[in-house]
Amino acid sequence: MSETTTNPHGIAEGHPDQRPMIVLEGVSKTYPGQTIPAVAELDLAVPRGSIVMLVGPSGCGKTTTLKMMNRLIEPTTGRILLDGEDVTGVNADQLRRRIGYVIQQVGLFPHFTVGENIAVVPRMLGWDRQRIRQRVDELLELVGLHPREFRDRYPRQLSGGQQQRVGVARALAADPPVMLMDEPFGAIDPVTRERLHDEFLEIQRTVRKTICFVTHDLQEAIKLGDHIAIFTAGGRLAQYDTPEGILSRPANDFVAEFVGSGAAVRRLHLIALSTLDLDEIATGSSPTAAALVTVPLSGSVYDAVDAMLDAQTSVVAVVDDDGQAVGALRWNTLVEKLQLRGLHP
Amino acid sequence: MDPISYLRENVGTVLFYGEQHFLVVLCAIALGSAISIGFALLVSMDAGSQRWSLDWIVGAVREGALVVTAAALTVPSLALLVLLLPLFGLGAATTVTALTIYSLYTVLRNSVAGLSSVDASVLESAKGLGMGRLRRLIWIQFPLAWPVILNGIRVATLIDVAIAAVAALVRGPGLGQLVLTGLSRYGAANAFNQVLVGTLGCLVVAAVFEIFYAVVERLTVPRGIRV
Amino acid sequence: MPGLITVSRRRKGMRSYADLLSTPLIVLLGGAAVALWVSTRTLDDIEARALQPSAILSDLGQHLILTAYSTLFVIVIAVPLGILLSRKGARRIRNVVLAVGGFAQALPPYGVLVLIAFAPAPFGFNPFSVIMGLVAAALLPVLRNTVVGLRQVDPALIEAARGMGMSGRATLFRVELPLAVPVMMAGIRVALVLNVGTAVLATFVGGGGLGSLIVRAQTLNRPIVLVTAGAIVAALALMVDWLAGVAERLVRARTS
Repeated sequence: MSETTTNPHGIAEGHPDQRPMIVLEGVSKTYPGQTIPAVAELDLAVPRGSIVMLVGPSGCGKTTTLKMMNRLIEPTTGRILLDGEDVTGVNADQLRRRIGYVIQQVGLFPHFTVGENIAVVPRMLGWDRQRIRQRVDELLELVGLHPREFRDRYPRQLSGGQQQRVGVARALAADPPVMLMDEPFGAIDPVTRERLHDEFLEIQRTVRKTICFVTHDLQEAIKLGDHIAIFTAGGRLAQYDTPEGILSRPANDFVAEFVGSGAAVRRLHLIALSTLDLDEIATGSSPTAAALVTVPLSGSVYDAVDAMLDAQTSVVAVVDDDGQAVGALRWNTLVEKLQLRGLHP
Repeated sequence: MDPISYLRENVGTVLFYGEQHFLVVLCAIALGSAISIGFALLVSMDAGSQRWSLDWIVGAVREGALVVTAAALTVPSLALLVLLLPLFGLGAATTVTALTIYSLYTVLRNSVAGLSSVDASVLESAKGLGMGRLRRLIWIQFPLAWPVILNGIRVATLIDVAIAAVAALVRGPGLGQLVLTGLSRYGAANAFNQVLVGTLGCLVVAAVFEIFYAVVERLTVPRGIRV
Repeated sequence: MPGLITVSRRRKGMRSYADLLSTPLIVLLGGAAVALWVSTRTLDDIEARALQPSAILSDLGQHLILTAYSTLFVIVIAVPLGILLSRKGARRIRNVVLAVGGFAQALPPYGVLVLIAFAPAPFGFNPFSVIMGLVAAALLPVLRNTVVGLRQVDPALIEAARGMGMSGRATLFRVELPLAVPVMMAGIRVALVLNVGTAVLATFVGGGGLGSLIVRAQTLNRPIVLVTAGAIVAALALMVDWLAGVAERLVRARTS
């Protein structure tokens, strides 16, 4: 899915724009009083402007890895490069002001208004009032909260979903190039989470941040990630690849098991209907077309299959934004089309 | 003479002692709160360090202070007052010192509890946004703990108002003087009234403090965390 | 005197063990310091007479009797009353008691004691009115602690008991009260400590006790006697509180 040509494992040379934003070199973390490292000899490069999902079972070191990037946890060994600069020795507080940070419990300051919460980092950076105010409103708009309505509210007056939007806005406040997110949507109900996912991707299209995102939900990782890093216990990287790569070419048994038996079905999420060679709908028989179940062209094959099973029909019409039918997808030819795309093993 | 007419005829005297009572408690509470809150801030600073030994020492000092101040609160007031006499002599200094000592535990306990009860996720995000120790303490921990601390100051004040009455026995200022005079004039006219007014006057002083704290709370507790 | 020693003061963990040892330690260190100071000086006749062990022991005996009786009365009155007030139906009165009980901490026991001594017979300057005065001074704090403690019993447990078909009475006796025993112990401890402290003032209204030792020391105007007297009284209060604390811990260990 990602456009980047950088080999995610390697550290790209050459033009600064193609240099990875975050690079972990041989990073380990052993907590005091423990012998087994939480993270062991980890190498990881996060390409500029992409979303990397850190996934794995609990205790696999994914959160530790994330927190070492803004040095909430200090690595025991290894180097961390942020935009080419070794940040293992710089002032941790100043480093964190350059990195957005969002956590599951949101952690909004209850005694600050929404506006004051978002303004925290700009205030520390000494921006003037006018600029801060402008930025707050801009960010509230971005996360879909009306500034006039929400700016002066207190966190306890917001729903969980609204709080997390404010959390994201607060992390974006000083326009950091990097965002670290620790299960930000983990405590939110499934319906709202779905919506937040879409909005999140929408925001990312505008802001183009380099994002590291911890989750234990593979579904979420597949939906949001440009790359997925799967961790095994002991903080080892089991596979680092695109969602498609993870689903179709699991590197080892651990990944295969983690991805589970539903991998083929999950992969259908990744295939946009627009990339398929759809069947013609007989133009003469438009009443038939109208009677068909429709799915939007922007959807995935998963949506189409879901619609077929739901309506117990073997054909769906694919429609564009204006509701015009652009083609049909049939149950019995579906597998052939997938083979044509060369995605089936 | 009934208590009301006694009060009416002696309003000046009673007000004088009441004011003394108020001021002596105010001094002690201000002093005790400054010491306790300052100490609590020092030992509650969100460590965020990985120096475990330091954390352990700070924790031990904190618990030790709580234990010692709690023990101090158990010492009978007259005993503490006479123990302080050789150091501070008869009068206000001994009184203020004793009342300060009695206020320490309550304020300290509430301050430590309030500062340490600040939600861990709030502190983590503060740290994640790049706030240093001191800024976290001033911007986040203290304001969030303030309602609990203020309540500790309130309770300590009530305790001190009652104890201050005993201070008259070491020539301390305040309404205890009325009780003492009444006691020494047992059987004489108005002796009972003096004791009654001196005793109930403490409740009036406490009520003034309560009003004062209600106003302070209104003015200083941020709207977002007001219950 | 302590105005309030809250139920939750003793918590598990480090602090609970620290103060199990710390009180004897404080008493020992303080006692040693005073003893050292006294031993560096030779007492003259007057000083020696004031600190005569027999006199101190008789004061101590009176003090303990006053404390014991008043604490007994406080428990007999405050604990059942606290149970009544903790019932659902008593919510309004309970809230009043809790609010008044908090504010009443500002009422000086010294004044209360004197006022009761001024009342007509059978009150007067005698041990009986001293005991009544101590009861009056300690009643509200103990009542307040009992109510708060009982209300702290997890409502889910009460609901579970009712859900199993226990009657209200059975729930009270078999669930709530056993769970509230540590709280009641804490209440008894509060009463004890308050009464030990207030009983020092008994001497001013003809009740005797260790306050007499302090008063004798004050009239002599000898610092050494004064400090010794104060230290003895302080040590007694600390040790009584400590013993009550140990008892509380034993009860708690058995019930939970």
